[in-house]
Amino acid sequence: MKRILIVCGTGIATSTVIADKVRKRLAERGLDVKIDQTKVSELHRGAKGYDVIVATTDVPQSIDIPVVKGMPFLTGVGVDKALDDVERHLAD
Amino acid sequence: MVETITSYINDLGAAVVLPFFIFAFALLLRQGAGDALRAALKIGVGFVGINLVIGLLGGQLGPAAQAMVENFGVELTAIDVGWPSTAAIAFGSQVGAFAIPVGLLVNVVMLATGFTKTLDIDLWNYWHIAFTGALVAIITDSTAAGLFAAAIHMVLVLALADWSAPWLARYYGFEGISFPHGTSAPYVFLAIPLNALFDRTPGLRNWQADPDAIQRRFGVLGESLILGAVLGILIGLLGYGFDDPRGDSILILQLGINLAAVMLLLPRMVQLLMEGLIPISEGAQEFVRSRFPGRDFYIGLDSAIAVGAPAVIATSLLLVPITLLLAVLLPGNRVLPFVDLATIPFIVAMMVPIFRGNIIRSVIAGIVAIGGGLYIATSIVGLFTRAATDVNFEMPQNATRVVSLVDGANPVTGLFVLSGQGSWVGLGVLLAAVLAFAWWVRGHAARPAPEDTDEPADAQTRTSGA
Repeated sequence: MKRILIVCGTGIATSTVIADKVRKRLAERGLDVKIDQTKVSELHRGAKGYDVIVATTDVPQSIDIPVVKGMPFLTGVGVDKALDDVERHLAD
Repeated sequence: MVETITSYINDLGAAVVLPFFIFAFALLLRQGAGDALRAALKIGVGFVGINLVIGLLGGQLGPAAQAMVENFGVELTAIDVGWPSTAAIAFGSQVGAFAIPVGLLVNVVMLATGFTKTLDIDLWNYWHIAFTGALVAIITDSTAAGLFAAAIHMVLVLALADWSAPWLARYYGFEGISFPHGTSAPYVFLAIPLNALFDRTPGLRNWQADPDAIQRRFGVLGESLILGAVLGILIGLLGYGFDDPRGDSILILQLGINLAAVMLLLPRMVQLLMEGLIPISEGAQEFVRSRFPGRDFYIGLDSAIAVGAPAVIATSLLLVPITLLLAVLLPGNRVLPFVDLATIPFIVAMMVPIFRGNIIRSVIAGIVAIGGGLYIATSIVGLFTRAATDVNFEMPQNATRVVSLVDGANPVTGLFVLSGQGSWVGLGVLLAAVLAFAWWVRGHAARPAPEDTDEPADAQTRTSGA
C-alpha cells in the first residue's frame, strides 16, 4: 500500500485535520493509502518508506521525497489541485 | 434543584459531559448523527486518555521532583503537564466548549464591523480563550465572567493576528493568512520593541547563527521520545542518587521509560480530541464562510504551519537546555519544565519573522519570554491545579501541583488572571484596553508592510512546494 506522511508543527494539530481530509478525498477517488503523521522537528532523520509528504510547514532540505503543500486542505482553496499532485506522486 | 443538577454534572466529569455538548453542536451545524456521535465519543475517550497519562506523569515525576528538593534544595515542585493537558482542561472547564460559539460570534461581529480582517477557522485553538476563561471563572466564581474573559481574549488574539500578518507574509511568503494563535501571537508584543532595541545595539546588529548547523548538532533535542527518556534518567539520577545501585537504578530507568512514554502518549491522546472536533470545525467554517462570501480577509490558521522554518526549529532546540537552566537558576521559580519543552517552537514561531530569522536575537527574546514566563507560571500554579482538579484530572497523591508553559507561562494568561482579580471592573478595564488596541491595529494595519530593506536572514527558506 502507498504511504503518505503528513507533516505539521506538532504532528497532532493541523496534520490531523489534513490526514482526515486526504484520507476521505483519496477514498472518493478509489485510492486506499496508509497515512502517518509527524512533527517537523522529527524529520531531520529523513522519511524513509513514504511515497509523498504533505506538509503545512517547510521541510528540511535533506528530504528527497516529493512534497505537496498542505495549506489548501486547511484553507479549502485549491484542494483538487493538491489532491491531483498527491495522486500523481503516488503513481510515480 | 439547580444545585442538584450542577453537582450531578460536576460528578459526571468532563469526559462524560463534553461528548454531549459536542454531539449537540455537531447536530446544530448539520453534521450527520453518526459522525456527530463518533466525534463526541472520541472527545470523551481523548479525555480519559489524557487523564491516564497525566496520572502516570504525576506519579512518576512527582516523587522524583520531591526527592530533588530534598537532595539539592532545587524546589521545582510544580510539574509542567504541557499544552495537551492545558487544552483538555480548557475545553473541559465550565467555560469550555462554549468558548467556541462565543469566540466565533466575536469573530463574526468584528469582521462585520471591520474591526478585524481575520476569520479564525482554527477552532481547535479556541482552547486558549477557553483556558483564560476557565481561570477567570474560578477566580470570580462566575461562569459568565469566564465567558466574558474568553470573548475579550478573542478580540485580543484577532488584533494581534492582524498586526503581525504583514511580517509573517514577508518572512514565510504566506498570502492572505494570519495566525490568531493564543500562544504564539502575544509574543509579538515582546519581539517588535526588542527588535528595535537590537537594531540599535552595536555588537548585536549583525550577529548571525546558521540554522542548519544547529539542527544537525542539536536535532535530537527536538525528538520528544529521546528527550523524555534522557530527562527522566537525568532527573532520576539527581533525585534518587546512586547510593543503592540496585534500587536506585530500577527507579531511574523506570522514570526514563515512563517519561518517554508520557512525551509520546500525551500528544497522541490530544489527537483524539482533535479528531473529535473535526466535524464541528468543518460545519462552523461552512457556516461562517457562507455569511461572508467574497469578502477579502485573512484566513486565521494554527501557527503550527510556521514552526517548521529552519530558524524556528534551531531557536527552539537551543532554548530546550536554556529553559531547564533558567528553571533551576531563577530564584523563586517552582516550575519543572517538561512536556512543553517540546512546545517551545510555538513560543518563538511569530517572533522569528520579526527578527528576520536571526537566531541570536530569537534566542535572546526566547530567554526573556520563558524566563519571565516561569514566574507567571509559578504565580498561577494554585489556580491551574484547581482548574485541573475541577475537570476531574486525578493528581496522584493529591499533593502534586501542576502547571504548563503553554499557556501557563503566557503573558496574556498573567494579564487575564490579574484582570480577573478585579472581577467585572477589572475585566471591563481590560475590554476597553483591548478594544483600543484593536482599533489602533485597524488604522495601523491599513498601511503597507513595515518598511524594511533587509533581506530575511534565511532568504532561502524552503517552502514545501512540490
